[in-house]
Amino acid sequence: MKLFLFRLSLSHLTEYPGRTLLGILGIALGTAVYLSISLAAASSLKSFQAGVTAVAGKAQWRLKSPGSPLNESLFARVRRLPEVKAGAPVVESVLEFTGPRKGPVLLLGIDPFSERPFRNYDFQTGTGLDREAWLQFLTQPGAVLVSDRLAAQKGLKVGDPLPVLVGPARHTLKVAGVFHSPSGLYPLEGSLLLMDLAGAQELLDRVGQLDYIDLILKGDGDQAASRLARELPPGVDLVRPGTQGRQLEGMVASYRLNLTVLSAIALFVGMFLIYQSVTLSVVRRRREIGLLRTLGLGRGQVLLLFLAEGLASGAVGGLLGLGLGVVLAQSALALMTHNLSSLYAPVQATEVVVQTRLLLQAWGLAVAATLIAAWIPAREAARTRVRAVWYREELEERLQNRSGTFGVLGLLALALAGFFAVLRFGSGPSLPSFAAAFLILLAFALFTPFAARNLGERLQPLLRRLLGPPGDLGCRYLSGSLSRSAVSIAALACALGMLIAVAVMIGSFRQTVNSWVTRSISGDIFFGPAIFSTAAYDHYLPREILPGLQKDPDIQDIYLYRCVRLPFKDRFLLVIGGSFDVLAKYGGLWFRQGDTQRIMQEVGGESHGVPADTAARPTAPGSPKPNPPYPPLEKGGNSSPLSRERKSPPLLKGDLGGFFGSSKTVESNTDYRKQETENRKPAVVISEPLAETFGYKEGDILALPTPAGVQKLKIAGVFYDYRTDGPSVWMDIRQFRTFWPDTRLNAVRLYLKDKTKIAAVQARLQEAYGSRYRLLTVSHQELRQGILKIFDETFALTYTLEGVAVVVAVFGIITTFLVLIMERERELALLQALGASRGQILSMVLVESGLASFLSFVLGALCGSLLSLLLIYVINKQAFGWTIQLHWTPGIYWQTLVLVLALGLLSGAYPAWRAVQPHLAAILKEE
Amino acid sequence: MIDLTEVTKIYRRGPEEIQALKGISLGIAAGEFAAISGKSGCGKSTLLHIIGGLEPCTSGRVVVDGRNLARLPDLELTRFRRDRVGVVFQSFNLLPLLTLEENVALPRVLQGISYSQAREEAGHWLQEVELAHRRGHKPHQVSGGEMQRAAIARALINRPAVLLADEPTGNLDSATAGQILELFARVHRDWRQTVVLVSHAAEVAGYADRLLSMQDGVIL
Repeated sequence: MKLFLFRLSLSHLTEYPGRTLLGILGIALGTAVYLSISLAAASSLKSFQAGVTAVAGKAQWRLKSPGSPLNESLFARVRRLPEVKAGAPVVESVLEFTGPRKGPVLLLGIDPFSERPFRNYDFQTGTGLDREAWLQFLTQPGAVLVSDRLAAQKGLKVGDPLPVLVGPARHTLKVAGVFHSPSGLYPLEGSLLLMDLAGAQELLDRVGQLDYIDLILKGDGDQAASRLARELPPGVDLVRPGTQGRQLEGMVASYRLNLTVLSAIALFVGMFLIYQSVTLSVVRRRREIGLLRTLGLGRGQVLLLFLAEGLASGAVGGLLGLGLGVVLAQSALALMTHNLSSLYAPVQATEVVVQTRLLLQAWGLAVAATLIAAWIPAREAARTRVRAVWYREELEERLQNRSGTFGVLGLLALALAGFFAVLRFGSGPSLPSFAAAFLILLAFALFTPFAARNLGERLQPLLRRLLGPPGDLGCRYLSGSLSRSAVSIAALACALGMLIAVAVMIGSFRQTVNSWVTRSISGDIFFGPAIFSTAAYDHYLPREILPGLQKDPDIQDIYLYRCVRLPFKDRFLLVIGGSFDVLAKYGGLWFRQGDTQRIMQEVGGESHGVPADTAARPTAPGSPKPNPPYPPLEKGGNSSPLSRERKSPPLLKGDLGGFFGSSKTVESNTDYRKQETENRKPAVVISEPLAETFGYKEGDILALPTPAGVQKLKIAGVFYDYRTDGPSVWMDIRQFRTFWPDTRLNAVRLYLKDKTKIAAVQARLQEAYGSRYRLLTVSHQELRQGILKIFDETFALTYTLEGVAVVVAVFGIITTFLVLIMERERELALLQALGASRGQILSMVLVESGLASFLSFVLGALCGSLLSLLLIYVINKQAFGWTIQLHWTPGIYWQTLVLVLALGLLSGAYPAWRAVQPHLAAILKEE
Repeated sequence: MIDLTEVTKIYRRGPEEIQALKGISLGIAAGEFAAISGKSGCGKSTLLHIIGGLEPCTSGRVVVDGRNLARLPDLELTRFRRDRVGVVFQSFNLLPLLTLEENVALPRVLQGISYSQAREEAGHWLQEVELAHRRGHKPHQVSGGEMQRAAIARALINRPAVLLADEPTGNLDSATAGQILELFARVHRDWRQTVVLVSHAAEVAGYADRLLSMQDGVIL
């Protein structure tokens, strides 16, 4: 086609710069939001992966025990095996800076003499690493090397003290030197400390233990690995070091997909703007099209002409969106790393990594979206007969006549959405359910012409009676300008629908979590390390505290809590050992089916044949019971898998397990083993997300990897659980200790005799231990508030995304009314010429814009309600495995109605005011 | 009925001033059919718009049906247009959303009478212009001549003091134009309607009582 014709298009685009700009801005915003979420997600995961790679170094394989440390003697044994070329023992923990330098820091305890083949940290040329520094590093307690990046960030130099929290305990480390990573890769964005292995073991209370052993094997890695695996004791796994990063990716996949889909909503709404812009262009230029067609322009050329206009808007909007997206990504990254850290794992990404692939993907999506949006009106223009394009009214009539057909198509889309909603492929987030969400949005967009026509026609008699000619004409214009108004109404309805759906879902979720905290988490005071996140698994309650608690006269009962996190299929799994006797007494888990007491007893041990006097027995509330002494602890190597290999049974002598039994020595491990031989599986309960993700039901058998080998456990019950740090398996703590044989506790819950003394006991505990440790003493009410605070922070990003979609839709409605009134300027002038007052004209326009806004709200509310059901009962259930109780939140409907009516009336008022300016004759002058 | 004294109209487009009317004085009696002719751009439409209260003059005095339009507040001017003037345009200016009957009834509805009565009256006027059979049609479904007849019926439904027509045959073929001019003549003849008709066509002279010629903003 001649370039001249495209120049014609260009001149039309520049003729109404405001309208063109709004269309472009809509696409730009949509693209920007989509890109920012993609970049932030990719950057945070890349940062995490870089950390994993940096820590793994050149290690080919890693020895780990699921949720448990290794005995360090394993290193000496493995190192001597002929398959092993090099090995490096490591302990690691995420510490927290205190004092003026806040934030998490990864401590790696390494053996510098084994490290060289693995992690190429530049110890020699880095600043400050002289002979003296090395000597300090190897001999001085608390001496650490800090990464050059951390030193630069925090202004650290050799000799500086570094106050840190190790779990709950306060320690002060000392900077012995600074090291540099030639690869440029650091975990936690460089927040890394290196410490001599022995010093780190002592600091972390892991003397004789290792977190993992990195290996480089000789010859063919896979064959050597197979041979090595056969040599390993039960409960020790040989894994690839990178699996941790992949498991995090698997864990956050649902979170990431949900955000990506939400960000795409803004782009979807932007598509309506482009559709509307091209439709308006077709309508306004009907004479020009007719003339061009008369002069011999083919249909294909007309189609190309309008597609080119849409494409130009999309391309420019997409480019603007890329720039804006990169800027927005910085804020999104901060929010996302905060969410990922509080929900899943410590992530500290500060720099947005701009990936060309993501830029091209976002821009391509913007262009594709605009082409799809422009296709329908462009095709309409191309297919129209030469004469017909001279009359917009024919287009309107055709649309009115087809509104019923559109309605039927909408019903079909809804039916298809229903079909997709029940489809399920595999575990995790399901694409058909997201397709169902888009089909619901599409269905309500298709209902719009029918609804607008009927609303206008049916309200016409009433509003005519109430408001006279303005009511009558306002209704007529609503039902008679479908080619223009219906698109805007649909765009706004879709945006409002998503807003309402997300708000109802979040409101329901919040209410459900609130009920869950009240019903499922019993206890007056929660007492443990001051870490409210996923880094808490290797932080423990100081050993000397429990005896003090046992003697406390105000404490009625104590619930013991021990948790490990281990890889399970493509996820992380929490295994929790708890005092089920206490749970049975006070309540604490909310089962989706079955008798709670019976399940608790089954898990609590009575049904296992555990001697009654060692099991926790429910007692009547209020009946005092003496607290038994804390079991003696065996520190160090005896708890490792290798030592268990030599020393069986695994349960430590003197470990009471059930805390409230007598102090009689527990030999129940033999009972547990007996069960196995009798083919009676130990019973556990699992969280609903675990059941939903992997398809477990009550009564099924769960094969759980443990340091004592894979255990087959009977699922006695499935309970509701809304933790975000992964699916979980709960068992009685005595059972737990047969698999993870250490006696440490992560935290305890305290049940007081007198509930009015909660604050006093909290204060007493803080006073007793606050100077030595940083421990949280959280009341039930504070815990609920804390959980809800994290909840609200998590969904801040979701609300932001929805807000952008609404802003884009509001652009649409403002543009629509501006254009509608501008197009109708002549008709409005004529009405004035015929004697309509300015008040009448204003009223008429406001009736129309008010009705359009109201209809957007009604459609949006219906669409949103349906979408909220899909989000609650399908998408969330599939993605996270959570059952959310539906709680309607009328507030969001009222707020949306007021917002939309106000916006609609305002966006109608300006062009209406313009229309009644005294320049009738100029408008009515003949063309 | 119409009394214009030293009426001027100046349009400003940026720094440029265009003097459309240059001190026009004119009187048209009640029941008179006056035709104003002249070349395109001579100011005849501007003069008609000023008489109809569609735009104000820059200076001078415009009295129509006993009202000095220059002094009428906006609300009164609106009432004047609604109750005392009927306007017919070259491009018909029917509202595309309304049927012919509804278009014709519109001025009565704007006056505040009931819809049923307004439609009944519209039916009568459509019969007068021989369009009763098209009452339910929308503008784009009828011919140009029919649209213009409907526009005339709409202009007459309020029984205006003055019927103003701005190039009413400009968009029509000569046969249809003849019929429309005949209709104006009949209206004038039968109801003694004051008519001011602007046209550049010479044949209007045969229907009007008086023919005024304009050139460069003045009446010759």
